[in-house]
Amino acid sequence: MDNMIFFLSTIRWQDVFDIALSGYLLFRLYVLFRGTNVFRILIGIALLWFFQRISVSIGLIVTSWAIQGITAVAALIIIVVFRNEIRSVLQAKNLKSIFWGFPRSVALTPLEIITDSAFELAKKRIGALLVLPGNEDLTEAVHSGIPWRGLVSQEMILSIFWHDNPVHDGAAIIQGDEVKEVGVVLPLSHREDLPSDYGTRHRAAAGLAEATDALVIVVSEEKGKVSVAKGTDIRVVRQKDKLNEILQNHVGFSTKHWGRIRKEKLELGVAAVVSFVFIAGVWFSFSRGMDTLMILDIPIEYMNRPPEMEILSTSANAVSLELSGSGALMRSLKPEQLKVRLDLAKGSVGANTFSITPDKVSLPPGVFLKDIQTDAVQVTLDVPVKKQLPVQIDWAGTLPQGLLIAEASYEPQVVQVLGSKRILDKISTIYTEKVIVDNMKESGTVTAKFALNPASLRIAPGSKDRVTINYVVKKREVEE
Amino acid sequence: MTYRLNRFLLLWIGVLSLLVSYGYAQEKTDASAPAEEAKQLTLANAAMCESIKEYIPQNPGIVFSTAIGKILCLTVFDPVPQKTVIYHNWYRNDELITKVKLTLKPPRWSTFSSIQLRGADKGPWRVEIADQEDRIHKILRFSITD
Repeated sequence: MDNMIFFLSTIRWQDVFDIALSGYLLFRLYVLFRGTNVFRILIGIALLWFFQRISVSIGLIVTSWAIQGITAVAALIIIVVFRNEIRSVLQAKNLKSIFWGFPRSVALTPLEIITDSAFELAKKRIGALLVLPGNEDLTEAVHSGIPWRGLVSQEMILSIFWHDNPVHDGAAIIQGDEVKEVGVVLPLSHREDLPSDYGTRHRAAAGLAEATDALVIVVSEEKGKVSVAKGTDIRVVRQKDKLNEILQNHVGFSTKHWGRIRKEKLELGVAAVVSFVFIAGVWFSFSRGMDTLMILDIPIEYMNRPPEMEILSTSANAVSLELSGSGALMRSLKPEQLKVRLDLAKGSVGANTFSITPDKVSLPPGVFLKDIQTDAVQVTLDVPVKKQLPVQIDWAGTLPQGLLIAEASYEPQVVQVLGSKRILDKISTIYTEKVIVDNMKESGTVTAKFALNPASLRIAPGSKDRVTINYVVKKREVEE
Repeated sequence: MTYRLNRFLLLWIGVLSLLVSYGYAQEKTDASAPAEEAKQLTLANAAMCESIKEYIPQNPGIVFSTAIGKILCLTVFDPVPQKTVIYHNWYRNDELITKVKLTLKPPRWSTFSSIQLRGADKGPWRVEIADQEDRIHKILRFSITD
């Protein structure tokens, strides 16, 4: 019980929101793609991933590698093969329908007219194929359709399949209350278990029903029977009421309306619960799974430095943090996700000691701070000042034999230098870079830059950054 | 007659007395001016050199090789109003290496300090010539090279 209370106390509001949001997104994916082949393929990919994890855990090297490859390729294939379905979900619907609401088939289809027409066609021994699409887009499955766009009526359906009509040979696609296309060529089923008396028309109906979620009504010309193909099932329907019920089930409306709604609500409810439980499980495995410890050196970020001061030196540029979290999170952890910030606002000139406390460390969600191995950092702050310094030439090298540099005049003799007060207080001369005397055989002029040491020193604006030196070379007098 | 002679002599004595007193005062004023100047310790000459011969610096310069083994800082003070001390402060790269105390005696005095050169002494040097009130009279800047 105590453990449960402790566990609940460690859950933040962000965690609850995280699970709720991700769970809802997963649930919406289910709502949008349910009943389509995309959803079935997604489940297949999820199963592949599951098997891959199992094969990794029990050490099946080649199998896990192969499944991993197949999963990666399958994810790519799903985008290419089902681009139309994905597009119809993401593009054809508005943003609200993606994130809210439950899409249902249009219930405005005049089912009784279609039922009556089918049996009338059968009675007159006129062969026909009527396609009622489901959620999936049929563009890839069918071809050669002629746009019709006529309101559904018994007369129109009869006239479409009338023997002398040029488009009577193909199928008619009925969407809502409209005959959308006629003369449509459907894919043939290659199943061998279909009854031998089934001709091309029945094979076409079975072929489309197998490939998509559409329902196809077939009217046999020879036997005058009405059959319905849906999924892998194709059967003869003898009563109008039965056909009407099948159609109502297909388009999402039935006489058992409330019962069906209850069933659908139950299905969606179960899907919602499964989505949230699944996401909660994933969250738990990520954030509360096997505890992994890690020590990372994180660079310190200094904030709110008083504008008149500069950082002269620091005792440490990084802090060692001992972190814990689930293995998955810790493996994906990058140093840039962690920050250690020190506030210098209260710093003063000289050495300042700042303690590294947990409130100065920011961590990504799910990662916990176990220990800070660097207790404190010493930061030396200073105020930049300007100081006038005398210039001195730094001669170096070996003078030619028998010569000496007797004197030299140079310009400027003093220079303004910018730098921290603590440094400049210790400096009383600014030297030039080394002026080599090896080739100075006679008097002349050279120029030299200043040697700014430490490098934080700068020549003040307005001062010359080079020294011009006029030197006088004389012969050395040798003592007798 | 005697009375007139006395008055004449008295007048001349008075005039002479005035002249003598004026002349004495004038003489006294003229003599005090050099005395005031003589109170200031003055550096007449200073040089870095390789050696000194008869109080004259030999091979004065600003660049010295460690090969010569020794360098000197010669300072000539003129006048020296009273016995005093000065300091030769030898710095290498802003670091005080040695502080040499030297005695000066009136009326003028030449004195020097020196260091032995080693390989580690290469770099920029300066010698500050300061009196006992830490007043710097001159800074000699030079380098010790290979």
